[in-house]
Amino acid sequence: MKIKKSAPPRTGIIRDYDSRKLSVKIALVVVYVFCVCIVLVSLFPIYWVLMAGFKDLREFMNSTSIHPSVFEFARYTRTWTQLGIMRNYLNSFYVIAGSVFFALVVNGLLAYGLAILKPKGHGIVNKMVVLSLLIPATIALVPLFINIMNMNMGGFFTPLWLAAGANAFYVIVFRQFFLSLPPSLIDAGRIDGCSQLAIFSKIVMPLSKPICVVVTIFTVNGVWSDFLLPYLVLGVGRWQTVMVRLFVFSTQQTINHDDLMRAVVFSMIPPIILFFIFQKKLTENIVTVGIKG
Amino acid sequence: MTKARQQLTSWMIMLPGIALFAFFLWIPLVQSVRMSFYRTRNVELIEFVGFDNYVSIFGRQEFQQALLNTFMYTFWSLLIGFVVPIFLALVIGETVRSRGFFRTAAYLPNILPGLAAMILWRAFWSAETTGVINIMLGHLGFEPMTFLTEANWVIPIIVVVSTWRGAGATALIYMAGLAGVNPELYEAATIDGAGVMKRVRHITLPAIFNLGSTLLILQIIAVFQIMYEPLVLTRGGPDNASMSLMLLMWQYAFGGNMDFGRASAVAVITACILLCFTALYSFVNRRRTEWD
Repeated sequence: MKIKKSAPPRTGIIRDYDSRKLSVKIALVVVYVFCVCIVLVSLFPIYWVLMAGFKDLREFMNSTSIHPSVFEFARYTRTWTQLGIMRNYLNSFYVIAGSVFFALVVNGLLAYGLAILKPKGHGIVNKMVVLSLLIPATIALVPLFINIMNMNMGGFFTPLWLAAGANAFYVIVFRQFFLSLPPSLIDAGRIDGCSQLAIFSKIVMPLSKPICVVVTIFTVNGVWSDFLLPYLVLGVGRWQTVMVRLFVFSTQQTINHDDLMRAVVFSMIPPIILFFIFQKKLTENIVTVGIKG
Repeated sequence: MTKARQQLTSWMIMLPGIALFAFFLWIPLVQSVRMSFYRTRNVELIEFVGFDNYVSIFGRQEFQQALLNTFMYTFWSLLIGFVVPIFLALVIGETVRSRGFFRTAAYLPNILPGLAAMILWRAFWSAETTGVINIMLGHLGFEPMTFLTEANWVIPIIVVVSTWRGAGATALIYMAGLAGVNPELYEAATIDGAGVMKRVRHITLPAIFNLGSTLLILQIIAVFQIMYEPLVLTRGGPDNASMSLMLLMWQYAFGGNMDFGRASAVAVITACILLCFTALYSFVNRRRTEWD
């Protein structure tokens, strides 16, 4: 006799004892049909752009088929070299590396002060950080741009690196985590004569690896996708990141739409790789981290 | 003595963070308010003009349109963007096999760079016969349409596109909320003779009501700042039909005129409206904690 592989018990709204009813059986089929539709709607545009990248300009403008007539991978490599995307990739990685450093160290130190050191008057700083979360950064964009230009910091990555160190959301996340650390460990460090900085680097940060990973992932993805401030800061110079390049490219009057689609694909590859490596971390932490909106 | 020194080093440790916050957020915010009261030429403040910038933008057709549009964006996103994540969470939550796959697939659009997603969707809604939506309509026997140049269509379309990108992430939050519902409630309801629909209506939906009201206001706050979606998809067109407040700010400042005074006035007005929403949010949140 064949043993049927049984599904795990249903723990949601519909239960196993319901599934005897015909109407519920139909409902379950409908649920799965909807799920397949969700998957199609989510993934089809990504699949489509991948296929569109294989078309040349004439085919892209005229063909109504999703799939290209020939799969010529050379079209991707040609756009890659013609547009010199490699340099934009490297620029993006530079921005990301510096931003991750500042996001971890500067936000971490501020949160360390707010959660553990608590010098007199830290409450005001804490309130201002929380308030910063409520006021959208775009509203400060115009004067920020003017200040950056007046200080002659335009044209290079420095403002973008530093901007990562002023993230209210990361400070709050770090602070919450630091508050949950056992105070005895920190006291032990004090008794051993560690300086305040040494306690941070030798005790607090090593204990906070999980939250550091989360902040790093979110910084990498956020910095990779950001283009408004980078566009204003980097302009059309040689330090353009991938997103700035794509933005400038997409606003040009005359563009090769097939090249544009390939550039879109190039800009999507790193986030997708990152997603599949850290899939579990991301989908779990979106619940705590994602409330941001 | 040592106590005072410790206080000092503590502040020194926090100083880099405070300095960066001041530079990137706090000072520019104050400057933004100040600048909105000045006539500007390039990056210089020329003279104090009081509320002239405000009076002048309120009289401008594009500002009135942008203000109205921003509320229309909010309205449509409540109609479409609020319901879709709840629906996703309910449907995916009821699957047993391949639930992880469904969750991942629904979340995937969220990690794509927003700019890339918008360029991609611009090709989908293209008015040409090779626009993907038009191809689909063609298969169903419809004539090709011009979506992004239709004044009545353009805002709902932009909302649909942003929902495509954001719904999966919000659905994950709802799913976590649903996982917290005590399973015995469903069993007890079944014994009392409640069918599946009754259970959804009387147990599931009330259980996520609080979460929903919080996410609703957060969504309103987020949609109110909509900017790069219309910037990439339509540049605010046709004829300002998709212009939002934040996009208008961007256009005034960086669209060629360098009209930083007017741009700041738009930013300040938007901030004031957002602060009202935020006050509402903290009110709802407080009420919620009182209940719990």
